[in-house]
Amino acid sequence: MNKAITDLEADALAPSKGLFQERWDILKRNRMAYASFLFLVFLLGLAVLGKVFTQVVVVFDPKVVRLSEKFLPPLTSFTSTLTPKEDAPTLGIYLLGTDELGRDVFARMLEGTSVSLTVGFVAVGISLTVGIFFGGVAGFYGRVKLGFLTVDTLIMRFVDIMLCFPTFFLILTVVALLPPSIYNIMIVIGLTSWMGTARFVRAEFLSLRDQDFVIAARSQAIPEWRIIFIHMVPNAIAPVLVSATIGVATAILTESSLSFLGFGVQPPDATWGNILADGKTFLFDAPWLTFIPGFTILFVVLAFNLCGEGLREAFNPKLRSTP
Amino acid sequence: MKPEDIQRIRTAFHLDEPLHIQYVYWVQDLFTGELKSFKDNQPVMGKIWEKFLNSLPLFLIGTMITWFLAFPVGIKAALNRDSVFDRTSTFFSYALISIPGFFLSYLVIIFMVKTFDVPVIGMQTFGMEEAPLLLRSMDRVWHLTIPALMSAIAGTAILSRYVRSQMLEVIHEDYIRTARAKGLPEDQVIYHHGLRNALLPFITMFGLTIPGLIGGSVIFETIFAWPGMGRLGFEAILARDFPVILTLNFFSAVLVLLGTLVSDILYAVADPRIKF
Repeated sequence: MNKAITDLEADALAPSKGLFQERWDILKRNRMAYASFLFLVFLLGLAVLGKVFTQVVVVFDPKVVRLSEKFLPPLTSFTSTLTPKEDAPTLGIYLLGTDELGRDVFARMLEGTSVSLTVGFVAVGISLTVGIFFGGVAGFYGRVKLGFLTVDTLIMRFVDIMLCFPTFFLILTVVALLPPSIYNIMIVIGLTSWMGTARFVRAEFLSLRDQDFVIAARSQAIPEWRIIFIHMVPNAIAPVLVSATIGVATAILTESSLSFLGFGVQPPDATWGNILADGKTFLFDAPWLTFIPGFTILFVVLAFNLCGEGLREAFNPKLRSTP
Repeated sequence: MKPEDIQRIRTAFHLDEPLHIQYVYWVQDLFTGELKSFKDNQPVMGKIWEKFLNSLPLFLIGTMITWFLAFPVGIKAALNRDSVFDRTSTFFSYALISIPGFFLSYLVIIFMVKTFDVPVIGMQTFGMEEAPLLLRSMDRVWHLTIPALMSAIAGTAILSRYVRSQMLEVIHEDYIRTARAKGLPEDQVIYHHGLRNALLPFITMFGLTIPGLIGGSVIFETIFAWPGMGRLGFEAILARDFPVILTLNFFSAVLVLLGTLVSDILYAVADPRIKF
């Protein structure tokens, strides 16, 4: 009997929706953000498929050079007698045309999808890791003194110093001086964009560190790293998640700008950025080489931005348009 | 090149010293005005000053376009929230933020060259140096218009979003209701009571745009072959011209600090609640 009552009470007291469910519903209500989210999920699937089909099971080969098939417009079917049969594109049609070396643009775009998204996600992953680490340490151990400076002063002034340099010029300087490699680009973009995250996390930690659940965790002698990363970071993650979504978009744009200047991901790796940068030379002869990657970047970055805005709205009750 | 020649050059430019000693040499040279470029042995300060004068009009016009365009759009969007105008301007500002700057510039170049037949490359048409003043300045304005517009576009999109959210926040404040309640005309409520309070955070933003003079312009100055500071930096990077790279980074850091200082001072002037 007693047990039944507590069960009933628990049922009655349970919130009708979980926090995650509630935020998810708000995101869903924002149609643009929800559509962007679905588009990004689709894109992620496409990137995985692209990786598989261009590198593991080669269905679309982005590296085949067919010099007799240069600058074919999109949807041209394969009719050449000069190119060997085994070099023909899949289904015998160039879906998005060919470029200046006769490579299949569709296959290259497919390969670029995974490479571009990898650049974006790894760069943001690095910046999140560094940002959460520094922000967390500054927020949690802020009052500890090292000599005459507090840890907080030390870290936040370092953040200020990093913010002093114009990001793009700094990235350009570092990338130009390092050997060209896709990993260097990810690392450099990541290491020059963590300052915002560090500030967000520190600000959240300052308000979290004196709250009851943290004091409770401390009283149970839970190790401090565990308090920081298991107990506090999940509570501080909302603004970070928003800035991360927008950060992926920025990283993709930065990579394309670097490609434009010739410092981006180097061939033979294809990214949207370097397909676009290579295509600009043939703007008048083969406009599809510019338009296809250009509009792809536009739509993908737009989707990331809209999705980030939708998340921001979902996490921040003040911004919601409908009560 | 003989090994002893290489050694002589290394010694002449202090390249065989450890990095921190080289840094001290650089600081010394910078403040005595002796700093020379590796590439052509010209004084670095003179080079930067010359390019600075070229970048300045581009930056000023770009900033003016940004601020004069962003405010009306942002305010109108905020006042007519969820209207068609609000939705389209929101969508377009996201689209303009999301488009790679150089891609958009190429689209505009094609369009402008084909439609209006206007020059888009460089600072002036070749052979115009001897032309009468009026013609020359017209030519200059034409060359300035498109690069300035292109470099202003992303800034306009971002700033108009900020203006909108700032106005939305202010418009629901109590003092706006009070101003309406005492029967002030709507324009005075919006522009006198509302906008003036919404303006405060933009003082900070204005300070933050100053460093864009160097960093933000690399791409656009490269596309439009504009001989400014961004291009100087880009070419210095290509040529491994370290004195120029270091000095440019140094100046942009100084500009950031100056911008922050100026905006802090202006903030204290504009907002009586802040006291030092």
